[in-house]
Amino acid sequence: MSEALVAAEAAGAGVEPVPGASGARQFWRRLRTQRAALVAAAVVALLVLVALAAPLLTAVEGQDPTTYHPSLVDSARGGVPIGSFGGIGGDHWLGVEPQTGRDLFARLVYGARVSLGVALGATAVQVLIGVVVGVTSALGNRWVDQLLSRATDIIVAMPLMIMALALLAIVPSSFPRPVLVALIIGFVAWGTIAKIARAQTLTLKELDYVAAARLSGWSTWRIARRELLPGLAAPVITYAALMVPANIAIEAALSFLGVGVKPPTPSWGQMLTSANVWYQAAPQYLLLPAGALFVTVLALTVLGDGVRTALDPRAASRLRVGTGGKREAKAAAEKEVES
Amino acid sequence: MRQPSVRARRVAAASVGLVLAVGAAACGPKDNDAKGSGGDSTPHKGGTLTVLNAGVGPTENFDPARLYTSGGGNVPSLVFRTLTTRNRENGAAGAKVVPDLATDTGRPDKDATVWTYTLKKGLKYEDGTAITSADIKYGIERSFAPELSGGAPYLRDWLVGAADYQGPYKDKKGLSAIETPDARTIVFHLNKPEGEFPYLATQTQFAPVPKSKDTGTKYAEHPVSSGPYKVVRNENNGEHIVLERNTYWSTATDAERKAYPDKVDVKSGLDSSVINQRLSASQGADATAVTVDTNLGPAELAKVTGDKQLASRVGTGHFGYTNYIAFNPTVKPFNNVKVRQAISYAVDRSSVINAAGGSALAEAATTYLPNQKSFGYTPYDLFPAGKTGNAAKAKELLKEAGYPNGLTVTLTHSNAKNFETSPEIATALQDALKQAGITVKLQGLEDNDYSDKIHNVKTEPGFFLAHWGADWPSGGPFLAPIFDGRQIVKDGANFNTGLLNDKSVNAEIDAINKLTDLDAAAKRWGALDKKIGEQALTVPLFHPVYKRLVGKDIRNVVISDWTGVLDISQVAVK
Amino acid sequence: MSGFAGFALRRAMGAVLTLLVISVIIYVVFYATPGNVAQITCGPRCSPEQVHQVAQQLKLDDPLYLRYWHFLEGILVGQDYSTGTSVAHCSAPCLGQSYQSDQQVTQIILTKLPVSLSLVVGAMVLWLLMGVGTGVLSAWRRGRFSERALTGLTLAGVATPVFVIGLVLMIVICGQLELLPFPEYVSFTDDPEQWAWSLLLPWFTLALNEAAYFARLTRASMLETLAEDHIRTFRAYGVGERSLVGRHALRGALAPIIALNANDFGSAVGGAVLIETLFGLPGIGQELVHAVNVVDLPVVVGMVLVIGFFVVLANAVADVLYAVADRRVVLT
Repeated sequence: MSEALVAAEAAGAGVEPVPGASGARQFWRRLRTQRAALVAAAVVALLVLVALAAPLLTAVEGQDPTTYHPSLVDSARGGVPIGSFGGIGGDHWLGVEPQTGRDLFARLVYGARVSLGVALGATAVQVLIGVVVGVTSALGNRWVDQLLSRATDIIVAMPLMIMALALLAIVPSSFPRPVLVALIIGFVAWGTIAKIARAQTLTLKELDYVAAARLSGWSTWRIARRELLPGLAAPVITYAALMVPANIAIEAALSFLGVGVKPPTPSWGQMLTSANVWYQAAPQYLLLPAGALFVTVLALTVLGDGVRTALDPRAASRLRVGTGGKREAKAAAEKEVES
Repeated sequence: MRQPSVRARRVAAASVGLVLAVGAAACGPKDNDAKGSGGDSTPHKGGTLTVLNAGVGPTENFDPARLYTSGGGNVPSLVFRTLTTRNRENGAAGAKVVPDLATDTGRPDKDATVWTYTLKKGLKYEDGTAITSADIKYGIERSFAPELSGGAPYLRDWLVGAADYQGPYKDKKGLSAIETPDARTIVFHLNKPEGEFPYLATQTQFAPVPKSKDTGTKYAEHPVSSGPYKVVRNENNGEHIVLERNTYWSTATDAERKAYPDKVDVKSGLDSSVINQRLSASQGADATAVTVDTNLGPAELAKVTGDKQLASRVGTGHFGYTNYIAFNPTVKPFNNVKVRQAISYAVDRSSVINAAGGSALAEAATTYLPNQKSFGYTPYDLFPAGKTGNAAKAKELLKEAGYPNGLTVTLTHSNAKNFETSPEIATALQDALKQAGITVKLQGLEDNDYSDKIHNVKTEPGFFLAHWGADWPSGGPFLAPIFDGRQIVKDGANFNTGLLNDKSVNAEIDAINKLTDLDAAAKRWGALDKKIGEQALTVPLFHPVYKRLVGKDIRNVVISDWTGVLDISQVAVK
Repeated sequence: MSGFAGFALRRAMGAVLTLLVISVIIYVVFYATPGNVAQITCGPRCSPEQVHQVAQQLKLDDPLYLRYWHFLEGILVGQDYSTGTSVAHCSAPCLGQSYQSDQQVTQIILTKLPVSLSLVVGAMVLWLLMGVGTGVLSAWRRGRFSERALTGLTLAGVATPVFVIGLVLMIVICGQLELLPFPEYVSFTDDPEQWAWSLLLPWFTLALNEAAYFARLTRASMLETLAEDHIRTFRAYGVGERSLVGRHALRGALAPIIALNANDFGSAVGGAVLIETLFGLPGIGQELVHAVNVVDLPVVVGMVLVIGFFVVLANAVADVLYAVADRRVVLT
């Protein structure tokens, strides 16, 4: 178990606990001051909105993601969409998919549902399992701690993809696939959150107010809920915010393997897989989902950064240090001239 | 939280074990216009030929006992000569059998149950020792050993007493069905008449293996060559094979193979789009490179219409192969022939072909047999669906069958991302059948699971995607395993998925097997195909077309109807 | 036992236990995976009798615990395999023999591991240089436009999927611009120069994404260090900005960098499958995925254990380095 890694992950998150409601208000205030994070939040909100409103948007366009239009692709040339830019026009806002002629805009927005949904679901599972395991491990006696830490190590050491491949092959296909994919991704990647939760809980455990609560006779469960969980919020939320984009990439990779969501359900990962060979003949087919993925991951990462900064009171002073660089440099230069 | 992006290398060749890549048949002699550039296009000896392959299947286990090829394979046939081999010519002429180690294609007795071959004189291995008939017998015997499993089932089924034979490592007595009265004669005793035995004798199991040099499972590392090249390097079980000239081979005993290059370097497991990129760019060593299993990708297909230079380097071939929908008539509602006919009318072959890569890479199929003369191709379209499906007629048939409000069915397919049973074809069908009021639910299975299920009579789904390839270019290996009632296997891998057991069909198969006149046999296979087609147990979808690039310095591209892939034994790099 | 020896022993025992549990999990999971392994190994046209013979030969019909026991036996004392004509001895630690190719798993690993290591070590050098360098630069130039630009660039690096970059780069650099030959693995012992040239593009592709994470981590850690009290003291004493950033802040940031690097290195050995597949590098990741597809259990177990070993080793090394870099840490 690498304490070093845990320290690294928590590095930006700050170890100081932020208990209670006053922390929340400070959090929002700090978040509001970061423009980049606000923009990112807006983008994420927009993406979620588009994903939720997919049926509405496609109805407006008059298309759906599963109907084939074989007449819109040139069969003799491998199924390249007819028309410039992949057949963009009033009927098909972003053109059509090669080989099938399915509407790209519809597939993109429905794909957003899957990609975002699976990623958020997976993150939720990871946080749930990770926090439970981490906290229990830190609060339990030595054997519990050893056992759970060992389990965490094992999960971390196992190759993600192979476990996902094997597990996805085992479960019968009647189980709803996007849910399954989210569960499996969540199930194989909770290790780091568990470590973070454990490390943080160990630190919090030693603090005065927790000791006070224990002396007052509070049960472990109550202590965990009232005093520890809020303290965990900072590092866990920070890491979770960064996990969402990573989970999107994992889902895309699983689609690459052919074990992601099943057709005809579109997902960005699936589209990227098929689009890879179309880079030269129909570049928009690759660039659109790649671009969508890019924007999503970017927005989530910036938002994650913003959340981390807002949760960490020291970050505020760091910000000031950052912007004061020029002034300090000038001051230092003046000093050198004087001496 | 790192990017664990992973991509599976789906072993396309291994998953259904039907002959792919190495050894494939072609047609369309007029389509062979691939030749090297440069003023002088006559081929010369010398140089190194590079072969770039995507799949590991064809050269995996480079052991003649284990290889499953059509006509001896492409790379394997450079090392393993067999009793008979494919005729190495363009087009339909290439679908014929010619002698290789033997002096003729075999002399049958009047029942075609006993086949006698005489070996040519002066045949030598790579170490100079003489090849004898006992070596051929040993080569066949060792293919029965469980340690060396693989290959097609015909030897087991056809040779007398072979069903229980467990190979020379366990059974010292050997196969009594094969006699070797002297060093140059070999006689085969068959269970029943088989006029097509010469075709079977092209498979690598008929390559000679000297008993003293047999190392069992290790033989693949350095098999003893009887062909124009010997194996000097075999890394990682076929991932990288290097062949150099066998100095004891001579054209005096081998009229078929030209063997121009001095060295052949075979690399497998590469990415298909990279292979196409490299062949297209043709820089450096890639100018003398070819591929035997990678079709043109969308980028190249799009370029080919405009780029004459590139187009001249594309070899087109056909292999006897059909992709189709299969029904299990013991599962409702597919027990009702009208339902099966309705689906036959409703399919939209143009969208399926698009899913398979477009009209350049797939041809619509309405017959079960491939569209080549050697199969006895008899064109018929019993349930004409037109280009995009006949939804009206389908609805009518459904009403007659008792489903006036349409039907909901489940289509089973594999999740493997190849163009044959892939999810894309299933979704194309799903969309097309919707027009006819048939709601299709897709059941995508992991490839091994899929293979297991469809080949087991207990778990066979009612409606699924399937494909079949030719073990040799004749109607026999195409129709018999699939439609002969006696081939139904109750507790193992079953290929008669239609579970057809029709006495007249069985009798006709037996009758055709007695014929040694292969042209006459072909005609009757064609007629039988049409007759079986009336039962609508399958819906043929398409036959694949192979379009592959060659490097710009490649000369003498020969593509036969047997394999559909350029023949490495004919290619020159100078 | 205390000190380094104690640490090493505890870690070693922990590693063995971890690997053991992983092997059990793999066995159980693959036992439940659908697919008739004997049929897959034998070949699709094999008769039921042949399939049965293969199952017997590979001991596939044995109950799970017995199969696992054979596996352990192999590791402890080695195992004998029949080649048909003779008996081959696989000496301890024997990880078994591939169902498909009859090669010994240890042999397969020894052939494939150098490829994966070549890829990952080279990429690691690149991502450390690019990532830490960028991070240091952006910490140094914080607040200015160039920092924002660099931050933006690193965000882009994080967000672009690797399997898009790889192919596009190859098409552009090798196909259109012809700056590099198409990548193909050449062993270091065969031709060191070719080895490096052909790995350049894969190194760069793998490093790009990782570098972005490192740049961000470096920047964050350095900024955090720069905000600390002792830096303020140094500044008050007149230590130059460049020295502050270059020496003091970077040293403070080293620990998390080392930790993250170790972790990523360990998992990349088995996880760089996509790069291996795309660039035709016959490494561990690619072999593992292929083995999963054909349910070649000995190869899967062997490879997973190798990967697990590297992850555990990397974490242990990281902890050591962390302790060296930050003297407050005590090795546990």
